[in-house]
Amino acid sequence: MGKILIVDDTLFMRTLLKNILFTGGHTIAGEAGDGEEAVARYKELKPDLVTMDIVMPKQNGIEALKAIKQIDPAAKVIMCTAVGQEQMVKLAIKSGAKGYIVKPFQAPKVLEEVKNVLTT
Amino acid sequence: MKEVPAKVEHNNQWVVVKLGIGEDRIVIPAPVNREVLFKTVSDVAERKNVLIITAKTETEAVYKILSVEKVIQVLKKLILGSCNAYRLMAYFMSPAIRGGVLVQNAQWEKGSVVVVHSGIWFVSPVKQICVPVNDVAAIELTKRDVQGKPTDVVRIDHLESGEVVSSLVLCPLSTLQVLYNFLKETTKSMDMKGTELDGVDQQVAMLIYSGMDSHAIENMLNLPHKQLDAIYDKILKLGLAEVVTIRREVQLTTKGVRYISDATKSQTN
Repeated sequence: MGKILIVDDTLFMRTLLKNILFTGGHTIAGEAGDGEEAVARYKELKPDLVTMDIVMPKQNGIEALKAIKQIDPAAKVIMCTAVGQEQMVKLAIKSGAKGYIVKPFQAPKVLEEVKNVLTT
Repeated sequence: MKEVPAKVEHNNQWVVVKLGIGEDRIVIPAPVNREVLFKTVSDVAERKNVLIITAKTETEAVYKILSVEKVIQVLKKLILGSCNAYRLMAYFMSPAIRGGVLVQNAQWEKGSVVVVHSGIWFVSPVKQICVPVNDVAAIELTKRDVQGKPTDVVRIDHLESGEVVSSLVLCPLSTLQVLYNFLKETTKSMDMKGTELDGVDQQVAMLIYSGMDSHAIENMLNLPHKQLDAIYDKILKLGLAEVVTIRREVQLTTKGVRYISDATKSQTN
């Protein structure tokens, strides 16, 4: 079980992920609504894992991922993508993302991916 | 004509027959006694190893044939090559994307796309893949990098075990446009205007998809039970969901209250 930072610009998606992860026995370290806030919250909270939306205001998920990787090369980040953003996923994986989950989320898939990334 | 062992459904029972397979027809011997010309076949579907063929001459007849995979594969290839359907030669990639991520080693295959009443078939010399029309989630005329160049393709998204799987079709643009229009028309029954559900309704639908139960949805969206019920009614009416379980809310009778009171006493004594 891990301490997780949830990054998404929509409250609804953050609440949904919180619910899924909490039900799966994880601790929610914190939340962020954009890439800049995500980087700041990462420095502050040092979570075991980050779930990162790709399309966000101010700084997008890929930029935030790169910034987090500069701070902590071992950071475990799972990207949250919408269907059709497969090119973005490729870019994110190249930039150091450890996994991805596809919106709309399905609870078992989210928990499976989080478990995979936390145990690697 | 070659003869192969198969089972054919007859009067709701499976009967063992020697099925005759010719270049343009199959011959189903007694007790069915039918010759089915491939050109009269209007629909082909597959459920596990059962091939379901709908043929129309004067009347419409449905034939269910059960056999080993190799026989079913040969039958599919022959029937799909000659049946009464929309058919075009094309390159296809299926599956190309699974769960939003490119399938490794996916390659363009030369073959044909055959659209029948119940499904879209991708047929090549080595495989026949069917996307049931009822599982088609989206059809889009879009661009993909093909040998480094942005190229027009039709993307067909469908649900497979709850996962979105995409297939791509590549052929000249004018043909693609015809295919796109034809597929849109074929899957029209699945279209929604987009105005039927408001924001909260959509959030409820999303939470259902995510696996949340009624209690969790009520808590997450801070919805009263009656409002959630009304949204469920709307979603059910639109055919977007189906009832899986009906839960009951109960309250204790006097007998129940007495039982609990006694149980509490015995625990505290």
